[in-house]
Amino acid sequence: MTPTHFAFSAAFILGLAGLAFHRTHLLSALLCLEGMMLSLFIALSLWTLQLDSTNLSASPMLLLAFSACEASTGLALLVATTRTHGTDRLQSLNLLQC
Amino acid sequence: MLKILIPTLMLIPTTWLTSAKWLWPTTLAHSLLIALASLSWLKNLSETGWTSLNLYMATDPLSTPLLVLTCWLLPLMILASQNHTTTEPINRQRMYITLLTSLQIFLILAFGATEMIMFYVMFEATLIPTLFLITRWGNQAERLNAGTYFLFYTLAGSLPLLVALLLLQNSTGTLSLLTLQFSGPTILTSFADKLWWAGCLLAFLVKMPLYGVHLWLPKAHVEAPIAGSMVLAAVLLKLGGYGMMRILPMLEPLTKELSYPFIIFALWGVIMTGSICLRQTDLKSLIAYSSVGHMGLVVGGILIQTPWGLTGALILMIAHGLTSSALFCLANTNYERTHSRTMALARGLQMALPLMTTWWFIASLANLALPPLPNLMAELMIITSLFNWSWWTLALTGTGTLITAGYSLYMFLMTQRGPLPTHIIALEPSHSREHLLVALHLLPLILLILKPELIWGWTA
Amino acid sequence: MNPIVSCTLLITLGLGTTITFASSHWFLAWMGLEINTLAILPLMAQHHHPRATEATLKYFLTQATAASTLLFATTTNAWLNGQWDIQHMTHPLPITLFTIALALKIGLAPLHIWLPEVLQGLDLVTGLIMSTWQKLAPFALLLQIYPANSTLLIMLGLASTLIGGWGGLNQTQLRKILAYSSIAHLGWMILVLQFSPALTLLTLFLYIIMTFSTFLVFHLNNATNINTLATTWTKTPALTALTPLLLLSLGGLPPLSGFMPKWLILQELTKQDLALTATLAALTALLSLYFYLRLSYALALTMFPNNPSGTSPWRLQSPQIMYPLALSITAALTLLPLTPTVTALMMP
Repeated sequence: MTPTHFAFSAAFILGLAGLAFHRTHLLSALLCLEGMMLSLFIALSLWTLQLDSTNLSASPMLLLAFSACEASTGLALLVATTRTHGTDRLQSLNLLQC
Repeated sequence: MLKILIPTLMLIPTTWLTSAKWLWPTTLAHSLLIALASLSWLKNLSETGWTSLNLYMATDPLSTPLLVLTCWLLPLMILASQNHTTTEPINRQRMYITLLTSLQIFLILAFGATEMIMFYVMFEATLIPTLFLITRWGNQAERLNAGTYFLFYTLAGSLPLLVALLLLQNSTGTLSLLTLQFSGPTILTSFADKLWWAGCLLAFLVKMPLYGVHLWLPKAHVEAPIAGSMVLAAVLLKLGGYGMMRILPMLEPLTKELSYPFIIFALWGVIMTGSICLRQTDLKSLIAYSSVGHMGLVVGGILIQTPWGLTGALILMIAHGLTSSALFCLANTNYERTHSRTMALARGLQMALPLMTTWWFIASLANLALPPLPNLMAELMIITSLFNWSWWTLALTGTGTLITAGYSLYMFLMTQRGPLPTHIIALEPSHSREHLLVALHLLPLILLILKPELIWGWTA
Repeated sequence: MNPIVSCTLLITLGLGTTITFASSHWFLAWMGLEINTLAILPLMAQHHHPRATEATLKYFLTQATAASTLLFATTTNAWLNGQWDIQHMTHPLPITLFTIALALKIGLAPLHIWLPEVLQGLDLVTGLIMSTWQKLAPFALLLQIYPANSTLLIMLGLASTLIGGWGGLNQTQLRKILAYSSIAHLGWMILVLQFSPALTLLTLFLYIIMTFSTFLVFHLNNATNINTLATTWTKTPALTALTPLLLLSLGGLPPLSGFMPKWLILQELTKQDLALTATLAALTALLSLYFYLRLSYALALTMFPNNPSGTSPWRLQSPQIMYPLALSITAALTLLPLTPTVTALMMP
């Protein structure tokens, strides 16, 4: 495992752990998701750089585009949730448990 | 085979296309014709034992009596259900007959199958019509509970059977009944093989039912409508015995040591269920528990695996099928008049329905195994072979027989003798339909005295 | 919702799945999954209602996590052996990660918590899409690589069948019951995945047929909990008679088609010397059967009293289209005799 590999893996796992264990605000969950996507962006771009492959040089951009879409969807949902539930705290999302 | 199966299948269009007025007579005549045609199976000309062979189905001396019994029972069920369904809309009556017919189709396929897996699938397939019969056409609210018990007891037993059968198929390559008994002895030594042995038998023991896993039976019997009780007692329980007789040759070396607890449970069950019958107040429940007791004898006879034991078991299955079905019909005649299954509320019926008392008398005597009837022959054969196996079984079987006689008489005296209570003086007189129904149960039983080799099975 | 918008969304939904089907490259497969998720989110949230929003949010969070974990697995694979082809995933670490990510995506047992809640917040048509169409793309990926990680898959499968049965026992909401039924069925598919992928596909198809019919029946009756089911017998009597059979087919009772996948899977498992696993899986199916049975009791096997005006609807012509339902319900009940043909077609 190269240091680069370790670095982006650690970043991703930190993001995932944050998403899984720190469950107070929806915004922080979205931030964690965004962090995961960015670590993947780093991984992809470094991979293309390291291998000097031109085939996949566009892929980090595509990834970034998709993650931007995802982030905007997340923010839209944040707005929707705030309007329906009045808060963005994840504990208040308990309507469907019964 | 198809000459029975296709007319049975065509009974369903008959049911839906005949006019409402002729629905019951037409289906009755049709099913009686099928039953008559099925009698030709009893003439077995083949030397190998298998006749009416086609690709998937055949009959042999073991399955023939059960198949004929199945075919015989459908007209009787139709005859018995006529009265209590008259208040239903006509389409529901048609649905009811369709259910009974589909049950018959599955049962014929199960008894006629030459493949263990085919037998298994059809064995399970009978569950759905029976479940609907109990839960849709039963009377009390407890019927849902009874249906759940019925389904889950049977399935919990039979799912391991499926896995066990698939394992057997992997080791022998085939599950055809025609060749399976000729395959070489399998080497069964490990603990897993013992589990496999139990898996193979458990489904049938639950279906029989063995004492200890019998709790579904009284519930199902009590809550089912009359046709459901009849077919449960007469044929469905026999699926268990039939399956055991089919699969035991494959389990050979292990059965000798592993069958002890099951034989003990079965014989202990004869006594226990008999004692329960002695203090029973519910008429249908009494007959149901008596079924468990008789089936205990059958399990004992099958598990010691002597020719006499197997023959006795088969005879007892047929004779008990006719007897207990007749008893359920008689109980139903009471139920339709008094709307209660409690024996204490319908006493002294001899004064009101004298001819019914005759039928009650003959049926009770058949239940306690009076001398010339096949019931006695079967019990003697089983008790003899058990006695030959171990002297101590006589203590259990002897007491069991005594208790059986006791509760049969108790049932007869309780319902028929004594003064007629004043609240049921205005009873409806018995119909000739009901007399015909019981006569059609008891006549074959009496005629079998003259030619018992029809139901002897392999040793004939 | 505007028909043009919903049409666009549905086409995009199909497009995402198709991209995943067609791709041989991990990145494209991931893009297909993302498009798929992004397209269904507006469909889920179309009713502006707290429940719908909450379901959408939960679905979004799990799917985004699963998709990014999937991409992480593939990136790790690319870093480890330089390959982006779907067929060339050999290292055990990415395969395990990938399996877990997809387990989260389709809702397998330890990662299943979101599924009942999300399904509960949707209307029945979106729920139908959610529990049938949305399973196709992940399964297309699962079937393409052969996860050789035997214990993990068997554990996932057994846990799913168990929890799928256990969780549904105490439910009165039909959509939650269907979600748990979905978990249990997915468990069966995962159990046999590593031994016979074709069988997994067959199970998936049969599950989709049965679930499709069930959702359509509930949609026809506007039923979302057990009590509503009890009065459906006044609407379409023939359907009411068939639906218990359909439910028992979902439960896997012979002679209905639901028995076919269970039978074949048990056969495959016993061939692999996994008799104990097979028995356990078969017995957990009983748990699922219990709640199907309860639904059948409420639906058709007991007759609830109804006032005369309540029993009239069956005389009226129903405006809904019945042909797909008739077709799928026939397939969902009577396919068992075709088992040899089907196996010959699927597993040559």
